[in-house]
Amino acid sequence: MNLSNGARESAAAQAAVSVKNVSMRYDDFYAVRDASFDVPKGKFLTILGPSGSGKTTLLRLIAGFGKPTSGEIFIGGQPVSAVPPHKRVIGMVFQKLALFPHMTAAQNVAFPLKMRRHDARTIADQVERYLELVKLGGFGSRRIHEMSGGQQQRVAIARALVFEPDLLLLDEPLAALDVKLREEMQLEFRRIQKELGVTTINVTHDQREAMVVSDEVIVMNDGLIQQRANPVTAYRTPQNAFVANFIGVTNFLEGPATSVSGNEVAFRCAGHELSGISVGSGPEIKAGMSCSGAIRAEQIRVAAAPEKLADLTFRFTGEIIDAIFEGERMVYEVNVAELGGVSFRVFDHDPIGHTQFLPGERVLVGWNPKDMHVFGNNHSPN
Amino acid sequence: MIGSRSKTIVIWTFVAIALILLSAPTIVVLGASFTAGNMITFPPQGLSVKWYGAILGASDLRQAFIRSLIVSAICTVVSIPVGTLAGIALAKYKVRFEKAIQIYLLLPFTIPLIGSGIGMMLVFGNMGVLGQLWPVGIACCVINLPFMIWAVTASASNLNEDLELAAANCGAPPLQRFLYITLPAVLPGVITGSLLMFILALNEFLVSLLLVDARSVTLPVQIYNSIRSIITPDLAAISVVFIVCAGIAITLLDRLVGLDIFLKSK
Ligand SMILES: Nc1ncnc2c1ncn2[C@@H]1O[C@H](COP(=O)(O)OP(=O)(O)O)[C@@H](O)[C@H]1O
Ligand SMILES: [Mg+2]
Repeated sequence: MNLSNGARESAAAQAAVSVKNVSMRYDDFYAVRDASFDVPKGKFLTILGPSGSGKTTLLRLIAGFGKPTSGEIFIGGQPVSAVPPHKRVIGMVFQKLALFPHMTAAQNVAFPLKMRRHDARTIADQVERYLELVKLGGFGSRRIHEMSGGQQQRVAIARALVFEPDLLLLDEPLAALDVKLREEMQLEFRRIQKELGVTTINVTHDQREAMVVSDEVIVMNDGLIQQRANPVTAYRTPQNAFVANFIGVTNFLEGPATSVSGNEVAFRCAGHELSGISVGSGPEIKAGMSCSGAIRAEQIRVAAAPEKLADLTFRFTGEIIDAIFEGERMVYEVNVAELGGVSFRVFDHDPIGHTQFLPGERVLVGWNPKDMHVFGNNHSPN
Repeated sequence: MIGSRSKTIVIWTFVAIALILLSAPTIVVLGASFTAGNMITFPPQGLSVKWYGAILGASDLRQAFIRSLIVSAICTVVSIPVGTLAGIALAKYKVRFEKAIQIYLLLPFTIPLIGSGIGMMLVFGNMGVLGQLWPVGIACCVINLPFMIWAVTASASNLNEDLELAAANCGAPPLQRFLYITLPAVLPGVITGSLLMFILALNEFLVSLLLVDARSVTLPVQIYNSIRSIITPDLAAISVVFIVCAGIAITLLDRLVGLDIFLKSK
């Protein structure tokens, strides 16, 4: 007992940040409920969740803007609830950047160093180095309002990193940028983070961003952590229906479980028995329990001729309701009458044959049981 | 429906009338001050600057003017810290008695100055300080402070509260956050408010009238006293000096913070 406690504590000491049973209550509303996680040194963790799920609240607690209602946060192994924000060595990029409008880019970047009483020479060198790092060399004398959105973004990053903090917090700093710039900045974050090796906690509602930049992802909803995994695991084996639905485009089939054996479940949907389906990594499923089967849009194939789907276990006929051309792929909405008229979203990549179905066409949709995940229905998806 | 052309004509006519009405007194005074005659008349009889020479030589006017400047300076210097802190507090925090404070901010428009003037005359009279200049400065500060507070709250409500958090995150303790972030953000409001306070104190007549005695007459009171005897063009000249002071203040304001901020401050 003592030993295992000691082992746990040393694990926490190695973690750059360790959040233990943290809850945050506003009046009688919990913005964060009993959150616990560690971030290993040098890792890039993303907290992913819809708006209002408590991401910002959690991040601000780590930065020290407010105390958790209960629980404790450890930074570098030390509890920090008694440490005011200006004494925590944490860099942060705010959602609305919060650059100081009356200062130039260089003055913004110099501010953390000035507050730490470095001498003028060091400050000048360091500011130049970090403006260089974010590719803003020569822009130092610009005023903030004279810079584009992407440039302001970079100033904010430089300001958060210039004092070489142990921890970097990013609160959806890319949300306001247009898609192209956002994707470019995501890679930029990744590059800088790798280059400096700074432990980073990023917050976003953009599942693509979470996948692209992170070593690990925490999915949050309603103040509760839903799953913590690396991006591939979170995508391939979602822990519950919420995660399955929030990351990626997922179709759900509803019905009671008919049998459970080991890691495989069978459940019934509109008179069809779907068997051999993998159990999601969530709560245990018992026969008779109402459940949801989740299948990704890209794991369903669509064809006109049955031979083309010969290698798939489940096949059902349906009708194309909508066909959207997205360049590299087609997105179909298929109504599957055989499964009680559910609508399926299907991604069809056919860069060679360029098959294209039109609304009204009868087609077959098919998929394999191993790609499907079943979750017990405590709460419904969507 | 009025056509957009005739609408434009109507609007411009109103603007022109308003401009004429607003500037007419100034033009009349300006003209009268350059008269070569010995009577205040418009249009002036001949042109000369002799009345400006006359006010330069008139030591009572000059001293009254200097006293007015001192009063204005006292008023402004006192109002800057008080008004700035009050303005920031009002904009940033949920203050108790917010209703009461809002009513206080409307006071300059609601309470007749004669009322507050008499009140202050009693207070300062009891303290036995009437006749000195600083009570006049304080009085001007008290009655005009809402303007200062307004100017500051108007710029403080633009203050993004994340800025102070960002400063904290950069390692700035509370005092530094205030000095480096909050204060510069409200500086335009402080400048606006200060110039406004200065001009209002320079022009303040009624309250000064109640608080000064023969030794501490301020310029507006001095002018008033002169009008009661004989009206000579030197009064027009001294009025022009007043207008020039106001003009300088407005120009400064425009240079320092831009007039749009001044006009926007609620
Ligand atoms: N200061 C506050 N007072 C009351 N409720 C708050 C406060 N801050 C956040 N909340 C509530 O907490 C929930 C989570 O907010 P937030 O952490 O900002 O979510 P996210 O960043 O994931 O969008 C929201 O429902 C929000 O309304
Ligand atoms: Mg947020």
